[in-house]
Amino acid sequence: MPKLPKWLTEVGWRTVIGAALLGGIIHILATLAVPILGSGTAFARLRDTLPANRMVFLPLPAPGKQPLPFLTPDALYAMCRYDVSIDSLAVTAAIAHPGWTLSMHTPEGDNFYVMPAQQLRRPEVTLTVVPGADRLSEFATTPRRVSATESQIPSPSYEGLVVVRAPLKGLAWRAEAEAILRRASCTAVKRQQ
Amino acid sequence: MPTLGLIANILINLVAFGVLAIGGGLGTAWYMIEAGSRLSTRSFGPWTTWTAAGRPDADPYTRAHTVRNALLPLASTLELTYRAKADSRGGRLHAGCEYAIVMESFDGAWWSLAAFDSQGRLIQNAAERFAFTSDSVMREPDGRAVITLARDARPGNWLPTGSASRINLVLTVQDPAYAAAVHEGRPVKALPPIQRVVCR
Repeated sequence: MPKLPKWLTEVGWRTVIGAALLGGIIHILATLAVPILGSGTAFARLRDTLPANRMVFLPLPAPGKQPLPFLTPDALYAMCRYDVSIDSLAVTAAIAHPGWTLSMHTPEGDNFYVMPAQQLRRPEVTLTVVPGADRLSEFATTPRRVSATESQIPSPSYEGLVVVRAPLKGLAWRAEAEAILRRASCTAVKRQQ
Repeated sequence: MPTLGLIANILINLVAFGVLAIGGGLGTAWYMIEAGSRLSTRSFGPWTTWTAAGRPDADPYTRAHTVRNALLPLASTLELTYRAKADSRGGRLHAGCEYAIVMESFDGAWWSLAAFDSQGRLIQNAAERFAFTSDSVMREPDGRAVITLARDARPGNWLPTGSASRINLVLTVQDPAYAAAVHEGRPVKALPPIQRVVCR
């Protein structure tokens, strides 16, 4: 049996147990702190390139021109960085073919709403993003429902991202997919006071 | 002198305490966030997925993994993203080798297979080809699709690895029924093996 170094035999069992307990606390705190303190989130990376409450059509991902790491490359994207702290947000998009999705994310990357193409009868989608119930209590007002046919999506945070993803079947479909994506929009709409 | 011995003993215990507590705490947190464990991931051969990725009720490790890697996953109730860093025999995926991936049908679900470098960047190549999807891949008469990962051109579905050294493969499958089965731990259809053909 290998002999332990002399200095190691000096470490007491109380030290080991205390270190394990403190290590556990550090482990938990570090894990919980990453989403709060993390500065390299997808939202932070896109913040400078996306103006608030405006849908932006992004060029096809290419080496050195990827909006985010590990993002599916054979797809076109339209993204909107929203802020519903003052106004609500009206989102219009067409989700034309299987694989297409419309998704909404918090700044931490949580996907709180997603609509894939195959669940729809009509590809056109109109949604209104409003602050979630806990946020609304700060206003003491009900957000305006724009029309009876629109769905309201409560956002757990004031800020976030709307992403429309259009996978490409091939280059021949690129113009069609791009034309559909360019018609997607997100605009601020006044809340009733 | 007994006093010197006592001081040395205290110092050794303080250093050991600090190294164990800080090193152990941060090291295990880093491992659980970057590599994952059975608490937050599920593996099928070389493929690993974070089973709660994108979900608002995700566990703290999954949330930290998403934030740290600047990911924007769709909720794992709809779409699962698998990442492979090694082939089916456990060897690290490397651009110097050629690999064959046989994609079976995912019951008509949309899927995408893309190659990245170890940092998640697309790999520069003259063919400007970075991925195949269930829509763009060429199939065999029996419905299977063989994708070849190699530095130099290959016939059929060639996914170039360019000048990258280490490669990460990302397989995305959009199928709510399949995602539910994975999340609940039910048996699911096997994912495609990554067969190393040859290394140069």
